[in-house]
Amino acid sequence: MSYKIAVASSDGKQIDETFGAAKKFIIYEVTEGLYKKLEERFFHEEKTEQVILDNGKGNLEEKCGDGNACENSNGCQRRGCAGAKEASAKVEFISDCRCIVCRKIGFHIQKQLERKAISAFDVSCPVEEALEKITYYFNRIDNHESLRAQK
Amino acid sequence: MAKLLDKQRYKCAMGAMQTVQAITRAIPVLHSGPGCAQKLSDSIGSSGYFSPNIFPCTSINEKDVVFGGVKKLETTIENALKVIDADLYVVLTGCIPEIVGDDTGEVVSQFEDADKPVIYASTAGFKGNNYKGHEQVIDAIIDQYLKKSDEKQKGLVNIWADVPYQDLFWLGNIRELEKLVTELGLTPNTIFGYNRGIENINRIPKAEFNLLVSPWVSVGNMKKMEKKLGIPYLHYPTLPVGAFETSRFLREVGKFAGVAEEKIENIINEHEDYYYYLIERYADLFLETRVMSKQFSVVADAQYALGITKFLVNDLGLVPAKQFVADDTPKVFQEQIKAEFEKLNYGLKADVSFETDGYKIHNEIREHDYHGYPLILGSYYEKELTEELFGHYLNISWPVQDKVVLDDFYVGYTGGIRLIEDIYSVAVQRWN
Repeated sequence: MSYKIAVASSDGKQIDETFGAAKKFIIYEVTEGLYKKLEERFFHEEKTEQVILDNGKGNLEEKCGDGNACENSNGCQRRGCAGAKEASAKVEFISDCRCIVCRKIGFHIQKQLERKAISAFDVSCPVEEALEKITYYFNRIDNHESLRAQK
Repeated sequence: MAKLLDKQRYKCAMGAMQTVQAITRAIPVLHSGPGCAQKLSDSIGSSGYFSPNIFPCTSINEKDVVFGGVKKLETTIENALKVIDADLYVVLTGCIPEIVGDDTGEVVSQFEDADKPVIYASTAGFKGNNYKGHEQVIDAIIDQYLKKSDEKQKGLVNIWADVPYQDLFWLGNIRELEKLVTELGLTPNTIFGYNRGIENINRIPKAEFNLLVSPWVSVGNMKKMEKKLGIPYLHYPTLPVGAFETSRFLREVGKFAGVAEEKIENIINEHEDYYYYLIERYADLFLETRVMSKQFSVVADAQYALGITKFLVNDLGLVPAKQFVADDTPKVFQEQIKAEFEKLNYGLKADVSFETDGYKIHNEIREHDYHGYPLILGSYYEKELTEELFGHYLNISWPVQDKVVLDDFYVGYTGGIRLIEDIYSVAVQRWN
């Protein structure tokens, strides 16, 4: 069984990008415990940018920048951005991955990822080290092996 | 093969955070998942200056399993020292960090020079229950904090008893033990509860001896202190409840401490006179055979199962049915505890079962012929069962749901009277 890992790194060596700021994700594919680089995905952010609109009644209303994003024809229900889609576009963008590795990640995004059973690892270390540790971990649990430290 | 437990009567080793909490101004720093403390906290008198809701916790998650949680532990301890004003910081480790191999000892050793003492105890759930965890915490204090003292204080005795909070009556019990020991002319030193704390811990090495009142919990701690601190110990396995056992307790402790026999007997006489005056006044109630059950069973940890069985037989003259020790007593202690159950007055012997499975215990109680209504003293789990059997029921061991205990106790002469009051209140409520 193979799976994908999304890594937020600007240079491909160090995990140095936060989830929010990352413009691209490097996608690795892991097959039978061995990882190899699959692709680089570039993310264009404009679509989900939130803007504050004046609705003409003197009230400020929060709306999604993309008018089509809201499924509700009356527009945003002001429930955070839950009125639009379940998860932010960036989460959808990597929703085929098993986990995301980045320097830092916000609480709400983590919740959205959780709902899709995507693990988030916020660490600052070389990409290689992270991939080694993560593949070891997934490999053990996929094979129902103990994570007990080997001494 | 894994064994499932029905109606478990103890918690995992990290339940020892309550042992730490019982030491005034000591705080547990938890290296565990975020749910552990929440699951382990009981609302039985655990709020106050520190409560489980504010225990510093590393709240480790999947990331820490993969990448290790030592950094988080380091910052958690560091910040706990900054924002929490405590006298003693005890790091307790849960299952996860121990499985993945976080070196807690190494991290804690970095805080050797901190202004306040930081120690750690390994309390992973797979290492045992909270009785074991309690021992681990005391071991940690001995190993990592206490130092041998050449200076001894005459008559100073450290008293150790069962596990705080797990034992509902812990506070009252230990205070009453202190009182009894004081009457013998000795100076008691305990570390748990109000007005005790780090000062008392510091005093431990100066004691002439350790007094342990428990069937098995802390025996290891006593041995450790004997070896490291050179403090001999007296192990009194039976919780003294009521006149018979308490008088024996005073004689044995007095003899060990070299108290004059006459003095001991005078103390005993004074207490017994009053005790039996009370009993005599209510003799009509006690002798009314329809009021009390003929046979009883105790379902509790070793200390209450043994202490109360002896009390009900020796002081109240009831007949023991099978007794159940449900605290997962280590095998090495089972024989000697069993032998204690056979040393009862009137040539009686109580059959005892070391059983942790509530389902099996309940089946045995159901199948036994109590020659009438049974008297069951146990945890809340036994309430429904006793109702089903139309018996008398008293909640004396964890979990406790139908009782609020602030500083009540069952130890000593007074404690025996309290227990009689409680048991007979249950009985008379039934008939009136």
